[in-house]
Amino acid sequence: MFLVLYILCLLQTSFLVYFSIKGFILNLVLVAVILINIFESPRDMTGIFLAGFGGLFLDIFSERFLGFWIAALLLTAILLKFVLREYVRFPAAKRA
Amino acid sequence: MKLSSRSKFGIIIAVLIILLVVFNLTGFSKSIRSLFFSISWPIQKSFWGIGDSISNFFGSISEGERVWLENEELKLKIQELTAENVALSNLKEENESLRGALDLGLKKEFELSFAEIISKDVSQDFILIDKGSKDGIEKGMPVITWQKALVGRVYEVYNGFSKVILISSKESSFDAQISGQDISGVVKGKGNLSLYLDFVPKEEEVKKDDIVVTTSLGELFPSGILVGKISDIKKSDLEPFQEDNISPAFDLKETRDVFVITNYLK
Repeated sequence: MFLVLYILCLLQTSFLVYFSIKGFILNLVLVAVILINIFESPRDMTGIFLAGFGGLFLDIFSERFLGFWIAALLLTAILLKFVLREYVRFPAAKRA
Repeated sequence: MKLSSRSKFGIIIAVLIILLVVFNLTGFSKSIRSLFFSISWPIQKSFWGIGDSISNFFGSISEGERVWLENEELKLKIQELTAENVALSNLKEENESLRGALDLGLKKEFELSFAEIISKDVSQDFILIDKGSKDGIEKGMPVITWQKALVGRVYEVYNGFSKVILISSKESSFDAQISGQDISGVVKGKGNLSLYLDFVPKEEEVKKDDIVVTTSLGELFPSGILVGKISDIKKSDLEPFQEDNISPAFDLKETRDVFVITNYLK
């Protein structure tokens, strides 16, 4: 999964540059982190760790200080976990 | 003593914050980035190439008609330019012989270092090139395209790579003038590959498609390097200066190689 995030980050900073819309490039790592955190169990912590690593990869290829994207993605993941745990109930969860 | 999972998580976050602060303050983050750049460089280069080919393929399909018209227009322009070129080379010869006669000597041409673009920053106004301190690149060196269009300047230097801040970055500002006229101002970046000419009094007659070139006033860039064309002029009765939007001369989507001017002394 780390490798997938790394490849997505490389795609974002090279391949996707050619397909920007009005100067904006799709943040693949952010999308991946959101999807991982939505589809895994709200009590599973893997999504949060992956958010940290995804943020690290984005930070490396960004001009911002090291930690900006780590903080942004970690906050996104934690917030998603919180909302999904506290306010969202999936019918499938009853079977588990 | 057994720690709860919440406490463990808090400790991990605290350690992470301390590590990141230390990395940023000690400059260790630079070494981490340099290591990742050297690992990622071949993969990014391939992705960049694939993106270029795919974009060109789809671009040529959707813009077929426009390209054909542009081609016809360019053919005419080539004829005009060829005639102009012949006239200019005559003038150049004459100029050179006059300079020689006056014993002035020709100004040294720029020393250029060829570099390939490896990646663009997610925020779009930075690029990464494959030349670094081992190739003699230093912070602040101007970066241009082969058409002598200004791209930006070196912002951060690693061993084998450098980060270039584009002239369109919000952090970028430098002195410039309208080519062939005595109108000067400051070019400022707006972000997202757009920029504008500021501090031009509104009484000055700036026209659309006027060419903007650098001046050596701020000693950031050599004079006479192409910045772009005026695309839009905004004048307000309340403001003493007009704001002229510039369409940059470089096209980052079409640019894969750049040149770093290594002998421009600040």
